[in-house]
Amino acid sequence: MRRQRLIIASLYIAAIFLGVGSAWLWLTRVGIAGVDAGAWRVNLLAGSQNADAYTRARIALGAVLALDRSETLYYTTQRDDQGEPLRAECRYKIEGSPPPARWWSITAYGQDHFLFPNTERRYSVGTESAQLDSAGRFSLTIGPLPANERDNRAWIPTAGKGGLRLTLRLYNPDPAVQQSPGSLAAPAITLSGNCP
Amino acid sequence: MNRWRIHIAAAVVLAIAFHALTVWALPRLIMDRIITLGSGDAQDQSGAQAATGVYLPPPTDHTQRRIVMPNPDLLYATCAYDLRDGPLRIRMAASYPRYWSIALYASTTDNFSVVNDRKTPGQRIDLRLIGPQAANSAAPGDVISPTARGFLLLRLLVNNDPAVRAAAEATRRTLRCERSKAQAEAADTDVRSKRSHGADSKSTKRISFS
Repeated sequence: MRRQRLIIASLYIAAIFLGVGSAWLWLTRVGIAGVDAGAWRVNLLAGSQNADAYTRARIALGAVLALDRSETLYYTTQRDDQGEPLRAECRYKIEGSPPPARWWSITAYGQDHFLFPNTERRYSVGTESAQLDSAGRFSLTIGPLPANERDNRAWIPTAGKGGLRLTLRLYNPDPAVQQSPGSLAAPAITLSGNCP
Repeated sequence: MNRWRIHIAAAVVLAIAFHALTVWALPRLIMDRIITLGSGDAQDQSGAQAATGVYLPPPTDHTQRRIVMPNPDLLYATCAYDLRDGPLRIRMAASYPRYWSIALYASTTDNFSVVNDRKTPGQRIDLRLIGPQAANSAAPGDVISPTARGFLLLRLLVNNDPAVRAAAEATRRTLRCERSKAQAEAADTDVRSKRSHGADSKSTKRISFS
C-alpha cells in the first residue's frame, strides 16, 4: 500500500515536470513564428494584444518591451543568405537598399543578446550613418576587422567567438511594408573571406 | 486496475495543466519583475529625479549588461506604474525634433498604447492613465490600461552629435509620472514595506528594451 502511494506520488510529480519542461522546450527551442524576408524573419505579433499565449511567452523571453508592428518592425537573423549560422569571429558583408521607413538600423549582438564591446562605441549602422553609393545602396561590414582599414565608417566590430545575432529595425515603416513585411527587399548577408 | 487508469488520466491532465500554466505565467512573471525592478530604479535615484517617478538609465552601450537587445541609437526613460491607488498623470515637453515615442505596456507584456512625435502635433504630452477598475469613469482622452500594473518606456532617437544628445537628455528630464500627493504617500508606505520584506538581488536583473 505504501509502495503504491509512492508510485502514484511519483507519477504526479513526473507529470508536473513533463508539463513545465515541455512548455520550456517548446518556448526556447522552437523558433519564433513569423514572416521571412531573405535571411531575416519578422514576428508580426511582437507587443500585439492579439498575440497568442505561446507568442507572448516567446516575446517575453527574447524581446520583451518590443513595439507593436504599427510603430516598429523588428527583423532578426542568426544566419547568412546561405543558411549558415552567423559567427562573431567571421566577417560578413551586408548590402541592400535603405528599407522603406522613417528610420532604420542594423545592430549586431552576441549570442547573449548584448552589444559587442568596442572603444569607439560603434554598435549599429543605419539611416544616419550608412554610406550610400551612387545607386543609393548601402554596404557595411560586420566582423572582428573592417573591410577597409582606412575607411571603417561602415563597420560594426564583433569580438570573441560564438554566435552573432543581427537585428534590423524599421521605425515608422512605410504602409506597404507594414501591410506586407515579407515584401521587404531585405539586406543580403554574405560571408566575406575565410572564417578562422 | 480501474484506479490506475484514473491516476494516469489525472497525471495527463496535470501535465497539460502545468504546460498551459507555464506558458501563461512566464510573460506575466517577466513583466512583474520588470515593473518591480523599474519601480525600485526610480526610487533609488538621487533627490529630485526620484520624485518624478521616472528612471533615467545611462546612455546605451556595451557596458550595459542588464538589458538584453538594447537599441544603442535610443536614449530611454522608464516609469513603472500601479493604478490600483488611482490614475497616473503622464506629462512631457514634446518639442524634441527627432523620433520619440512613449509606449505603454500592460503586465501581460502587451504594448497597448504608443504615442510618438507624429501623433502629437502640440508641444506637450499630458495624458491621464487609468486602471481597468476605473474604466467606467473614464473621461474622453483618458488612456485605459488593461492591467493595473504596467510599464512606460520613452524612446528618443539620438546619434553621436553632442547637441542632439543634450536635447534628448533635456527632453527626457521633462517626463513626469505623477499621482496625487495623497495617493503617492499611501503607495510609498506600501512600497517601502514590500521592499523591506523582499530583498531582491540586483545582480540578476535582465531586462530587454527592444
